Amino acid sequence: MAWPKHEQRKPAGGLTLIAMVGLAIAFLLYMAFLNVVKSGNLLSETNLLYATLIFYAGAGALYMGFGVTGTASYVKFASFATWLGLIANTAAIAHRWHDAGHPPFTSIYEMLLSSVWALAVLTLIAEKKFGVKVIGTVTMPLAIIGVFFMQLLRTEVHPLVPLLQSTWLSVHVALAVLAYAACALSFALAMMFLIQDHMKTETILAISSASTLAIYAGTVLTCFEKWGGVSLVVSNPDRKAEIFLSQALRFSIPIPVLGWSIMLASLVVATPLLCYFLARWRRSDSFLTLAHRAVFFSILLQTMTLIVLLVHVSGSRSHLPTAGGLFPGALTTSPFILAGLVAGILISLLFLLLVWRRPDLERLLPTADTLDRITYKTICLAFPLLTLTIATGAYWANQTWGSYWSWDPKETWAAITWLVYALYLHMRITVGWRGRRAAYFAIAGFAVVIFTFFGVTYLLPGLHAFS
Amino acid sequence: MAADLRSVVHKTWRTIASVETGVVLLILVVILSAVGTIILQRPVTRPDEMQSAYSPFVLQILDAVGLTDVFHSWWFLGIVFLVSLCIVATSIDRFPNRWRYFSRPYKVPDDSFRRALHLQKSLPLITREGGPGAVEEYGLLAAERALQAKGYNPEKVARPDQAGVFAERHRISELAVFIVHSSLLLIFLGTIVDGLWGWRGTLTLNEGQSSNVVEMRDGKTRTLPFSIRCDATGQESYADGTTRKLWSRLTVVQAGQDVQKKEIVVNDPLLSSGVRFYQSRYGANGKVERLMLAAIPTDGSGLKQEIGLALNDVASLDADTAVRFAEFFPDYAIRDGQVVLKSNELLNPAAHLVVTSKKASKDFDVWLLQSGKVADNSTVPWKFQIAGLKVGHYTGLEVSYEPGQWCVWSGAVLMGIGLAFVFYVVHTRFWVLLLRDSKTGKLVLWIGGSANRNRDAFEIRFNEIVAAIENELKPAISSALEGAARYGR
Repeated sequence: MAWPKHEQRKPAGGLTLIAMVGLAIAFLLYMAFLNVVKSGNLLSETNLLYATLIFYAGAGALYMGFGVTGTASYVKFASFATWLGLIANTAAIAHRWHDAGHPPFTSIYEMLLSSVWALAVLTLIAEKKFGVKVIGTVTMPLAIIGVFFMQLLRTEVHPLVPLLQSTWLSVHVALAVLAYAACALSFALAMMFLIQDHMKTETILAISSASTLAIYAGTVLTCFEKWGGVSLVVSNPDRKAEIFLSQALRFSIPIPVLGWSIMLASLVVATPLLCYFLARWRRSDSFLTLAHRAVFFSILLQTMTLIVLLVHVSGSRSHLPTAGGLFPGALTTSPFILAGLVAGILISLLFLLLVWRRPDLERLLPTADTLDRITYKTICLAFPLLTLTIATGAYWANQTWGSYWSWDPKETWAAITWLVYALYLHMRITVGWRGRRAAYFAIAGFAVVIFTFFGVTYLLPGLHAFS
Repeated sequence: MAADLRSVVHKTWRTIASVETGVVLLILVVILSAVGTIILQRPVTRPDEMQSAYSPFVLQILDAVGLTDVFHSWWFLGIVFLVSLCIVATSIDRFPNRWRYFSRPYKVPDDSFRRALHLQKSLPLITREGGPGAVEEYGLLAAERALQAKGYNPEKVARPDQAGVFAERHRISELAVFIVHSSLLLIFLGTIVDGLWGWRGTLTLNEGQSSNVVEMRDGKTRTLPFSIRCDATGQESYADGTTRKLWSRLTVVQAGQDVQKKEIVVNDPLLSSGVRFYQSRYGANGKVERLMLAAIPTDGSGLKQEIGLALNDVASLDADTAVRFAEFFPDYAIRDGQVVLKSNELLNPAAHLVVTSKKASKDFDVWLLQSGKVADNSTVPWKFQIAGLKVGHYTGLEVSYEPGQWCVWSGAVLMGIGLAFVFYVVHTRFWVLLLRDSKTGKLVLWIGGSANRNRDAFEIRFNEIVAAIENELKPAISSALEGAARYGR
């Protein structure tokens, strides 16, 4: 391995970061408070979400700091901030529940609100019960992205259409949220296992490069236009909704610049993968140095693409005579590109963290054996929850549509997720897969979960139109 | 030849009954299901959308292979059937062993088993030289007491060559996997029953209408042994116009008798003789129930009158004139000077009245239109205006018959129970034996333990039990030591 075996560092007091994060939180809260005084409304959902975001962001910064420096005192403050964020998050959920008169499970926005809550709870459980302190380094940034994402979605309370007026809604969706959160946790644990299992950094580099590339390919393919343009779905600002030209065709604007910059970014993202193969073929480490430089460069380019996206979203308007008027593109209606870019940047950043602080991470994480076992246990929790999600969904569908199974894409993908985890359990229990191969399986399982949760809703047509 | 055949049969059996085959089949199911969600499927897509999505050539190929209806194609059902077969075969293959394990617990571990056991511990026993064997007895007694205190139900195992204690808990956990697999088969069975004998259709009823003919998806009809009458139907909306509630009051009519009444809403269907009726659609049926008219004499001599008419009703306006409500169009257009029906939605209604005057001994055609003109009404003795309109509504019901669904639900419940046993109920076993240490020849109390899952948690419990046994042994050992000391003096 090209890395120093073990780097002993003097444990710093770590007061600087704690003080900085504390000051930032205090400052942001003060700014928010000024705003509240002006509007005279303290406990609105927006304010609560804002507080949630601030505390989670603080927790995320401290967890990241812990991941980088291994200063133990960070964790204490990080979990304290997570607790505060969780309280604000719970209050936001309670507020929403009270306003809407039903549990917050009926739109993507409400689902995210609940999922972020579940993620924070699971992070605290993993930290306190299993001692996986560093897990916040992965889960809190995810929670932050979730809260950010919520700001882009339609937040107004919708009255429930008759279909959703059922007690089964709460049962079905609560189970789904729990199951998906457990899957997310198993994914994070499997990733940590790979680090603890001494997987070579260059292999992880190749994998992260390949998965980022796959994300971009998937993102771009959904909205690819002629001449390298990427199209943004247009939003009608009055109704805050996309405009449909026909049943399945949304009206969209092609933006060539965005398409080209995504392609350029993808090219640079692909470079480490290429370098990895060259290094293996030529048995030369110089390619790996090049690969690391490419990672830096790719972060720059991806950030630039993100800026291009943000600029063009509000900047470009398109004329649609049949709907009468000019309409802007909107992040809300095509959240895939944004999610893809943010995920890409996050993957690259996490990889950098790994490159810089691998020995520290290895010291902080539980042993590979423990991680392997906890991953398995999380899936043992997720699998019955998935089963119950599907069963309650089928029962509800039977009450509503008169058929417990109609091969709707969401149903089918839920079944696929269930099968993938069933395969994992069989391979592990009967065939005896442990370690690496089981970890790959857990990671693949979570990729399927993500597709079932987001991909099916936005990419495939079906009956589950509301979430 | 016969031997060949037997080996072929044996090999086939081994292939079907292997987990690897099951895994390959499940991966196939996963891939094909995914394909079925990506390619547009005929049963849920309109034909014109299919044609606009794929070129005729591609569509022809997809249709030929069955990729436009993956979930009903013979090959998909075939693979699901093979999965079931694989589950059955694997279960049959493994069941005897498991059953033996379950029905005849392994109470006295032999040498090789003891050597391979991961969790074991030997506690030294001190015996009074030449004294009675009470301490040996006490060792097993201590183990029994410690296990009892931990909630086990230990039993003494006495064999001529070996004395010991055996305790176990949740033996049923060994069979849990069969519960899960049989529940899956139960669900498959339910869906097969529904596929063969179940059906789905729609029933559209106007208010007050009754019918026993259900329209099936393929255009055929099915006659029920009873009729459904829609007594009333309606829709309620939120302030922003979205639907809040759809409801229908239905009555089941059998042999001319009302046998069952229920107000159904979305999520709450009517069940009658195994057939379910679901609220699905609601709308205007284009028929008028009552037309309210304001009538004024053209010459301005009489008073304004308000009359209400159903279709074909006649009302007299004065001694001379009568009016008949002849025709109604919820949404009209004028073509070649004729009023024609455009749609059944109540968008642009038109009413046709026939006014009969005895004096003029003539019928006048009066058209009440929002715009346009089809007849000259200047000589009609009365003028009319639409003052109100009550139109009829229909309710659209989904009808389904799923005789296999109870099989599916019991399968789901059984699977829940099975999974709970698989993941959370652990079969734990403890063995305690009196042994002579092979090297020193001294008597030891050997304790072994095993669990079929969650082994790290079991290790903690094992250590607790060992500690408890040690604790129970202490007084006996110390008294033995005292005895030995006294004896020695």
